[in-house]
Amino acid sequence: MGLTEGIGPVIGRVIATEQLPASPHQFHFWTATETAIGIGAIVRVASPSRTVYGVVQDGRAYSDLATPLHEVIASEGDPTAPDPPSRRTEIRLWTAAVLRHEPEEPLQPVPLANVHAATESDVEIALRMDAYVRGEEPTAIPVGLYTAGGTEAPVYLDADFLLGPESAHLNINGVSGLATKTSAVVFLIGSVFAHFPRSKGRIAAVCFNVKGSDLAFLDQPADLTERDREMYRALAVPAEPLKNVRYYAPLKADGVNLNSLRSHPDLVGSVEPLTWGLHEVLDYAEVLLNRDDIDAKADAFLDFLADRVVGKTFNDEWGGRHRVESFADLEKLFRAIFDGLEATGGRDMWRTHHIATIRKVRNRLLNISTRCKGLVTDEEGGNDLPFGAFDDRAVYVVDVSGVDQLGQDLVFTRIVSKLREHLERRELGVEHVIVFVDELNKYAPADGPETYVRRMLLDISERGRYLGLVLFGAQQFRSQVHRRVVGNAGTTIYGRMDVDELATPGYQILSPATKIKLATLPKGELMVRHPHFTQPVFLRFPRPASLAGRQGIERFPPAADVPFEDAVTRQLAALDRRITAARVKDVIAGHRDEDVRSALLATRRARPDDPLTFFVARLHTSIPRRSVESAEQDDGRTVRPLAPVEDPYAS
Amino acid sequence: MRNALVRAGGVPARAQVRTRVAQPVSRPFASGRVVEGSRIREIDCGSPTHAPDGVGFADGIQRWVLDGHLGLAPVVRAHVAAAVLVRNDGRFRAETCETEEFLVVPGRRVTPAQLAALQDTGLAVHETDPADRAHPIVDRYSAVQVVERRREAAERRAVTTYVQRHPHAWVVVDGPIGFFGDEPAASRAVGLIKTHDTQFLEGADLEIALTLRAGHRSSVFERTVHGRHAVYSWYLRLWPWRDEDLLHGLTRLERRPDPAAVVEADEVSRWMLAERAPLSAPEARWDRLIYPIREVETYLRARAGGWG
Repeated sequence: MGLTEGIGPVIGRVIATEQLPASPHQFHFWTATETAIGIGAIVRVASPSRTVYGVVQDGRAYSDLATPLHEVIASEGDPTAPDPPSRRTEIRLWTAAVLRHEPEEPLQPVPLANVHAATESDVEIALRMDAYVRGEEPTAIPVGLYTAGGTEAPVYLDADFLLGPESAHLNINGVSGLATKTSAVVFLIGSVFAHFPRSKGRIAAVCFNVKGSDLAFLDQPADLTERDREMYRALAVPAEPLKNVRYYAPLKADGVNLNSLRSHPDLVGSVEPLTWGLHEVLDYAEVLLNRDDIDAKADAFLDFLADRVVGKTFNDEWGGRHRVESFADLEKLFRAIFDGLEATGGRDMWRTHHIATIRKVRNRLLNISTRCKGLVTDEEGGNDLPFGAFDDRAVYVVDVSGVDQLGQDLVFTRIVSKLREHLERRELGVEHVIVFVDELNKYAPADGPETYVRRMLLDISERGRYLGLVLFGAQQFRSQVHRRVVGNAGTTIYGRMDVDELATPGYQILSPATKIKLATLPKGELMVRHPHFTQPVFLRFPRPASLAGRQGIERFPPAADVPFEDAVTRQLAALDRRITAARVKDVIAGHRDEDVRSALLATRRARPDDPLTFFVARLHTSIPRRSVESAEQDDGRTVRPLAPVEDPYAS
Repeated sequence: MRNALVRAGGVPARAQVRTRVAQPVSRPFASGRVVEGSRIREIDCGSPTHAPDGVGFADGIQRWVLDGHLGLAPVVRAHVAAAVLVRNDGRFRAETCETEEFLVVPGRRVTPAQLAALQDTGLAVHETDPADRAHPIVDRYSAVQVVERRREAAERRAVTTYVQRHPHAWVVVDGPIGFFGDEPAASRAVGLIKTHDTQFLEGADLEIALTLRAGHRSSVFERTVHGRHAVYSWYLRLWPWRDEDLLHGLTRLERRPDPAAVVEADEVSRWMLAERAPLSAPEARWDRLIYPIREVETYLRARAGGWG
């Protein structure tokens, strides 16, 4: 981090009038009309007794023209008249907000002295980065390059304030397609992985891909320009894609094809299916309930199921013996309860639970297995993220872009909750986890019903930093996100902003010129607020070295769904490349699809040395299971309508 | 009244209500001799054209305050300054600048001790030659006359320095250029006179000169300065005077007496016509004060600090 020493060139002079006085927090200066500085430039005011650093927040230009009418008269009413021989005297008058005084005390108005363009060293001091860029244990994370006034200087965030424990979380806003939010986060994750001090522990990132293919190719190299590479060098961040990326995606409804755009044959083998069974879902059943559903009775019944029924041998009142391990088992239990109540004269209570409550919980739980088929399976257990064995500086991408909102909520809630539980117990495998969520306005909206997901996000925002759980949230409109979620983000990044959004009260502190700049920011430029920076700072960052979604789709077009046998082969081949399609077809011939899926899931979970042998063994020993649907079809039975009981939840 | 004037063959003026009586003109008439043709004519100058890059513009300012009295003697402190700004690509840059701050007192009315005390301030002390009898207003007027002379001297120094450094450069001087005398380097100096206290023409020549239409000039005539040096001069109307007054937009230009001045009169006039833009408004004399000269004044005022 070599710095350009000395003082930058004089570019202007501080002026102060009664109407435009210099104060301890703001000053005005003029420059030549041709100047390298602009909005966002950092300047230094040097007087013998005091040095002040400021950032330009507004600029004005005017001439000695007293009234526009004088121009009309001079041109004799002809706007096409030739340019006059003299140019009117004009001024470039800038307003700067103070970033730092040296000495800090006594705090005094800015001296009326020369204004210099900031050097690299000035930028470091002005943004108070000297406290964490240098020293025995630097905690600096490069976030981009300050490029203004002819100076290019790296800008660093303080890891203690980005990732905790002092403050934490990052929020990034901007309009879709232009704000480069995802690119900024991907670059920043790479920078964190390169610079997060090893002494502070291990760190990983969990990224939720909630739309399209944004995060589907993080492990693939992007085409970088020489300028991008220069920026990487200046920031000391490797210009290479993220190295250790694990992909997880639910299966499609067929239970074997992956529900992900990362389905190109060259890549699909590196995507792990994300599948959950009843056990995994039941703990987060509250996610499935809307506000009207949340009551003590439903909670009590869910607790009853979790504590007394699921995973245990359970006897109903009518001689039935149940072992509920899957949704199919659970449906059988519900059927037994409803049948039993019918048989005993239409009772409406079972073990202190009203039949309407039982029906409501049944509807909600079984509904998820239908709506999220492919994510939620009938099988016991599932295939999950490696909680407890997270790798240092690894990225875990959870691709839920093909899952409906309910399923996304469930995935998000369960994974984040598991992260929190493991971090609390210090059993995750890493001490810090960055959770990246795009479309934060969907999960933690500023208004709308209270949801389990929003409560959880609030909890992370307010307490996550103590656990090492850090939220990197992105959205188009910050004003549409719960204010406690965005308010707790220690670091905020703004890309190209929508002008309507900038008109909302949350942006009142920004000058009109800063707002205009935000509304017209080119790709790759951002405004950053960070606890150490007393004012927002504009900076540039290089394109991510990882392949962006759109280019990824062009380079690795998604493959069409393959037939059941081929999909099974593909998944087994991912475990052992020697496994052939012909062999798999021979093995699964004559077996029901459910049994094949069950054996496949078990094989993937066990990751045996000889996957095919293990798969065959499971296939032959698996107890045929019935899904709710197949059970109904096979038995010719359905859940019969109950005796007329008023069911307020029967929608 | 306006219609009656027009019917009578007159030209209506602005009819602005005034309260002050115009001051008497100390030297209303002087002689002039037509040198371009045999009589004064109205000549169309053609379309305005920009003066070449590198033209200098010269002007001066004066400021004075009455600091106090020594007995009945007024003590006047003054600041005078003059500069030449050179224009290139529409932008101005100061080339020469003269400034002076000094005191003026009525010579015989202050004691040597008082004079010494004033000199101790570090400022030059200039003395007037007062009448025998003290008169506060006359004494003050005399002091201001000294200030004015010092300002003119500063202007002369500034512009003479400039033309000697740049003998081939054009320079437009605010006011008459008789002071150049025979200075050979002043061959491209142009005097721009905005006041018309002294008339050099008479009869039909005068009427033609003072009723020029906008964009027109008069024939060149010669006037004599202090009975010794002659300068060539012509009138140029920058702005229409109808609905204003006879002298609205009327300027008089001066050149050293050289046949080239006659040949170049149209071209120089076209340059001046181009200087109508930018307008020097809101200056009261905007119809005759061209923007570059105002720019020199602005520059000098800005540099004058508290005097500005």
